[in-house]
Amino acid sequence: MMKDLKQDSNGVKSEAGNTPRVIVFACKWCGLIGADAAGRKHAQLPAGFRVIPVECASRIEADAVIRAFSSGIDGVIVLGCHLGGCRFNAANHRTAKKLKLLYPLLETVGIDSKRFLLSFGTAHEHHQFEDLINRFYQGLQRLAPMDAWSGSYLSEMGQR
Amino acid sequence: MSIVNDARAIVKKLLEEKQLDGVLGLSCKHDEPVPFVFESPEEVDSLVLEPKWLFAKLAMNIVRTSPADFRLGIVCRGCDERALIELIKRNQLDEKRIHVIGMACSREQAEACLCTRPYPAIPHLGEKVQGVDPREEETAKAFLEGETIDRMQRWTKELARCIKCYGCRNSCPICVCVPCKLEDDLWVRRGEIPADMVSYHLIRAFHLSDTCVACGGCTDACPVGIPLMLLQIAMRESLAKEYEYEAGTDPGRLSPVLSDLFVEPCEVYEEPGWPDSFKVSDET
Repeated sequence: MMKDLKQDSNGVKSEAGNTPRVIVFACKWCGLIGADAAGRKHAQLPAGFRVIPVECASRIEADAVIRAFSSGIDGVIVLGCHLGGCRFNAANHRTAKKLKLLYPLLETVGIDSKRFLLSFGTAHEHHQFEDLINRFYQGLQRLAPMDAWSGSYLSEMGQR
Repeated sequence: MSIVNDARAIVKKLLEEKQLDGVLGLSCKHDEPVPFVFESPEEVDSLVLEPKWLFAKLAMNIVRTSPADFRLGIVCRGCDERALIELIKRNQLDEKRIHVIGMACSREQAEACLCTRPYPAIPHLGEKVQGVDPREEETAKAFLEGETIDRMQRWTKELARCIKCYGCRNSCPICVCVPCKLEDDLWVRRGEIPADMVSYHLIRAFHLSDTCVACGGCTDACPVGIPLMLLQIAMRESLAKEYEYEAGTDPGRLSPVLSDLFVEPCEVYEEPGWPDSFKVSDET
C-alpha cells in the first residue's frame, strides 16, 4: 500500500524520488462531488492523494491539519462549498477565517505555506478539481519531502 | 512616593470602605513574595508589586470557589488584565465579581517580555511606557525572519529540547479547556519525549491563536527556555492587520473568527487563474 504512494500513475517522480503524499479533506456537498466526477472521467491525476469526505468543511479543525503534517504528510487540502453557498448557515466562513490563521503559524515554524491549500467553491466540476490537484502537486514537488523534515528532527534526538 | 505605597493606599482604602471582600496581590511576609488574598486593611502593609506574577487563573479559581457575593480585587499588570477580559468573554469568570487595580509596567519589564502593550486600560499605578515591537528585537528576529528553511532548522533545534512538562499549558492564563486535547492520544501521544514538535507545539499554539494576550507566561514557565511566545506573534499580527482585533482589549468584542464574512470580512487569498479559489467578492 505504501509502495503505491511512492510513484504516481504516470511514473513521474519528484526530486526526492517519491510522489508527495497529500490528504484532501473534501466537503460532501461540493469537494467530494468534484473528486468523484474526476474519478469517473478517469482524469490524469497524480497518485498519492487520499480524499477524506466530511459533512462540512467546518468539521476540519486546524488540529487535524497539524496532525497530518506531524505524521509526515506532505500537503493538506481543505475543500469547501462556495463562500455563501454553505448548507450549514455560513459555517465555511468560520473555517475560512480560522484556517487562514494557520498560514502565519506554519510560516513561522518553517513549514512552507504551499503545503496547505484552503479552497472554497472549487471542484464542483471535475476539471477544476483536476487542475487544483495538479497545480498543488507542482508546488509541492519543488519542496523537500516532509518526512525528511521530521526525520532530521528525530535523528537529532537519536530516535528511530 | 513610590508606586508600592500608592498601591497599598488604594488597596487599604478599598478594603476599609468594604467595596471589596478581598484583594489578590503579592505578599512579602517572609522574604519571599507569594500570591495572597488581603482581607483586612492591616495585612496590606506586606503588599509588593514585583516580580511579575500572572493572577488571572488564580483569580478565576478563587472567584469560583468563594461565596456568590464575594468581590475580589486584583492588583495586576496589563497582560493580566487582558487575560481576565478573555476569561470573562469565555464565561469562565463573572465580570461583576472582580475589580481590577491596574499597574503599568516599567520599560525594563516591557523589554524583558517583548510586550507591545505594557499597560492596562486604566493604569491606577505607575506611568504608561511605550511598548516594544518584537520584530525589532534581535533575539526575536532570529526566530521570526529569514528563509523558511532557516526558520525551520532554528525551531526544530529549539523545540527538540522540550521535556513535555506541560508547563506552557499550565502557566497560560487562558488555557482552561477540560479535557485538554494535549492529553489525548489521538492528537499527541502521551509519554513520548520530546513532544512531537509539530502536533504538540502547533496544536497548543493554534488553540490560542485568537486568544493569546502575549503575557509571556509560556516563555517564562518553560524550564528549557524555548521562546514559545514568539509562535503567537505572526497570528496576532495577522488578526490586528485584518480585523484590527487584539485579544483582551475590548470586553464587548468577540473574536472575529467566530463571526462570518458578512459581519467581519477578511482579505481573501486568491491564486491567479485558479477558478473560484477562495474568492469571496462575487459571492457576498
